[in-house]
Amino acid sequence: MDDKQTEVLSDKSPKVALVGNPNVGKSVIFGFLTGRYVTVSNYPGTTVEVTRGVADIEGQKVALIDTPGVNSLVPMSEDEQVTRNILLHEKVDSIVQVADAKNLRRALLISVQLIEMGLPFLLTLNMEDEAASLGMEIDKNKLSEILQLPVTGAIAIQKKGLKEIRKKIFSSKVSPNQMRYSPDIEAVADKIEKLLPTAPISRRSLALMVLSGDKSLFDWLHAKLSDEVIRQIDHIRGELSGKFHEPLAYVINKQRMKWVESILEKVVIKEAGARSGLLAWIGSVSMHPVWGLFFMLAVLVIVYYFVGYFGAQTAVGWLENGLFNTYINPWAKTFFAKIFYFSPFLQDIIVGPYGVLTMALTYSLAIIFPIVITFFIAFSIMEDSGYLPRLAIMLNRIFRMMGLNGKAVVPMVLGLGCDTMATMTARIMDTKKERIILTLLLALGVPCSAQLGIVLGMLGALPLWATFLWFGVVGGALVLVGFLASQIMPGQRSDFMMEIPPIRKPTGLNILTKTFARLEWYLIEVVPLFVVGTLVLFFLDRFKVLPVIQRAAAPLVVNFLHLPVEATEAFLIGFLRRDYGATHFFDLFREGKLDAIQAIVSLIVMTLFVPCLANTLMILKERGLKTMIAIVGFIYPFAFLVGGIINWGLRL
Amino acid sequence: MKSNCGQAPQRPHEMDELLEHIWTFREKGKEINKALLTELGFENLPKWLQSLETEGLIKIQGEEIHYTKTGEEEAQDIIRRHRLAERLFADVFNTSEETWERQACELEHKSVLTEEATNAVCAFLGHPPTCPHGRAIPRGDCCHEYSHDLKPFVTPLSEAKIAEHYRIVFITPKHHMRLDRLAVLGVLPGSDIYIHQKKPSYVVRVGETDIALDPEIVRDIYVKKAA
Ligand SMILES: Nc1nc2c(ncn2[C@@H]2O[C@H](COP(=O)(O)OP(=O)(O)OP(=O)(O)O)[C@@H](O)[C@H]2O)c(=O)[nH]1
Ligand SMILES: [Mg+2]
Ligand SMILES: [Zn+2]
Repeated sequence: MDDKQTEVLSDKSPKVALVGNPNVGKSVIFGFLTGRYVTVSNYPGTTVEVTRGVADIEGQKVALIDTPGVNSLVPMSEDEQVTRNILLHEKVDSIVQVADAKNLRRALLISVQLIEMGLPFLLTLNMEDEAASLGMEIDKNKLSEILQLPVTGAIAIQKKGLKEIRKKIFSSKVSPNQMRYSPDIEAVADKIEKLLPTAPISRRSLALMVLSGDKSLFDWLHAKLSDEVIRQIDHIRGELSGKFHEPLAYVINKQRMKWVESILEKVVIKEAGARSGLLAWIGSVSMHPVWGLFFMLAVLVIVYYFVGYFGAQTAVGWLENGLFNTYINPWAKTFFAKIFYFSPFLQDIIVGPYGVLTMALTYSLAIIFPIVITFFIAFSIMEDSGYLPRLAIMLNRIFRMMGLNGKAVVPMVLGLGCDTMATMTARIMDTKKERIILTLLLALGVPCSAQLGIVLGMLGALPLWATFLWFGVVGGALVLVGFLASQIMPGQRSDFMMEIPPIRKPTGLNILTKTFARLEWYLIEVVPLFVVGTLVLFFLDRFKVLPVIQRAAAPLVVNFLHLPVEATEAFLIGFLRRDYGATHFFDLFREGKLDAIQAIVSLIVMTLFVPCLANTLMILKERGLKTMIAIVGFIYPFAFLVGGIINWGLRL
Repeated sequence: MKSNCGQAPQRPHEMDELLEHIWTFREKGKEINKALLTELGFENLPKWLQSLETEGLIKIQGEEIHYTKTGEEEAQDIIRRHRLAERLFADVFNTSEETWERQACELEHKSVLTEEATNAVCAFLGHPPTCPHGRAIPRGDCCHEYSHDLKPFVTPLSEAKIAEHYRIVFITPKHHMRLDRLAVLGVLPGSDIYIHQKKPSYVVRVGETDIALDPEIVRDIYVKKAA
């Protein structure tokens, strides 16, 4: 993530981190301060990785860090750990704690810990517009006086309050207002503190993390301390926890909350009133046990028409037939025939049956491009409205069958955008088992944007039963594999406990920015792969290797799946990117080389393929080599097996 | 006014105490024998054990000690009274830990708290499954019947009504992780909580935070009506 933007920094440039609860607007603020776009969406857990940028503040270049949202600095999931580790390992010069003004209580729970860490910070109460519409009023001056820290207000999406943040970043302070715990805890914290190594954060805060049973500190402590000292610490901790009938972390949290409440009493002038208005109504209806189902159906139908109909048929028609096949390709064919008259080889490489222009660019720009544009727009609206967490409520039951819970709905739906990104978002799941199941299911059966478009486009041209069959088989495979994996793997399912943000009106600007960012990704990362895949096919064809492979694969492709030999190529490039493979099937289908059964079988097998090379690498990075091999080793045989079964079933 | 407070005949408290200790040892999975009980430091241990055996509450076989059927039932009742009393004084009256532990020792005897009174306390507390130490409270008849004559003061959140405001009295989670996660979302004893819906998942509101929860979690949160 360190790239051009951060090159302008010197070692002496001050480092500032944005820290706060999930979904409070940290990334919006980061975007405005650095001019660098990071994903902003309306659900907790959008940011799961640090992003660094440069902010110009009062004529000085500042290294700004956007972090994943946390509810506590004693991490309980991998994304929360990322944030705590930044504070633990990097010497940040200052922090901007971003708070949701209407949830000050939870924000102060983090402030307590930042104060404890001995870090200078500035508290920004964001979303003042929402607090005001609830009739809430907070005395910021009083709060600043009590905390002995600068406190500012902001409405980040309207760019309000950014100037004040800029102005006050450097006046952030280390607050002397340390919270005191009950004497027994204080005494033990003191004792442990003396045994701990120094770090960029205070030893007192480390001692309290240790008391809270922070397992993520384990490796770090072991690297710094002798086993003897660790035993000593364990012993002291054990003695204290014997005194309480509740877990120490809970005792500590309760005492923190008492302290927070005592502050709230003094600074909250008016409490929040009842919610009202259209958005609140939509919020309730979309998670209602009955209306919520209709809502979900309506959303599906709208997205289907927009992406599968408007995008995959109307827009593709304009581009492919209207532009590429009528103008660009014929023109290019004559043009390159003239230029490369001396070499049919060079002509073919560009405009032949496996040509870069006629195949790779026509596929990726004329067929897939309009589909992904419409999909990304629809998708961004869903993300920004706050509907996804409500969908999680509706689907929690089904996800529990798969050894997951509703929280996994968000990454699964994100997978419809890009499985690779979604694989990284698996970090928000609580247990390792869930992260692995989620990663497996994403790779197995969640078609990403381009492929989904192709699938919808192809299904649209097939009889209706094919649509149901495709959904049924892919959905069934997901549930079945999830269920079996959850039975086989050790470990447990965690609770469904998820914060549901209010429904918000998506802003056009963010939708556009996000769609453009994703299209950029598509053009830079996906299109080149299409070109590479086409070149591979071209050379295989040219050097007569393709027929050899086709013959070798015939028992599988032709005999087992009853597909034409050309299908081999589709599978071959499908290893690179499955959406590309699917596009090839789409093409075969339109040329009349596939009948309905062959079409649906090939669609199903392709959907069950591993998404792409990038996704495989992400699995490797996030989950390790063993898991990656196991997942990939399972998926390919499984995909063909399911295809074979469906094929035989349909031909009975 | 005429008082009816004559002394009921009662078993010496030492005997109840011993029955109770055997229960907690057994809970911890220990073999009950004389050596183990000696560690407790009772005066006249042999004498009390003798009396328990004579009353048919325990069987002594060499070193080993077992409850008889009646003995086990008696012990279960003592434990039940003790732990319910702990809940009452800890969570409803918010007394100090020292006080509620002492009170519980006083109230655990049958001569002090009758079965009817015990069941009333149990219902009042919403039939809590555990004591503040997290140990199981043996179920009574009231817990199975779920008689609704008595308006319980404390109820599991799962029994509470939609669209009403409650205050959390105590939380009895199965694992610590759950407790910690709830705590950092602001779900702690003393917090106000509002039920938005129960299906397809529970959605509760604490402060201005809406949280979706599995029913298992909701069952562990005990609330009383907000004033
Ligand atoms: N009404 C209102 N909405 C805001 C404001 N600031 C941010 N939002 C919205 O809040 C949502 C979350 O914003 P993000 O910037 O993604 O939040 P974050 O803190 O980075 O979230 P995580 O990365 O999940 O921790 C988005 O839908 C924003 O449009 C504000 O001041 N007022
Ligand atoms: Mg963010
Ligand atoms: Zn009961």
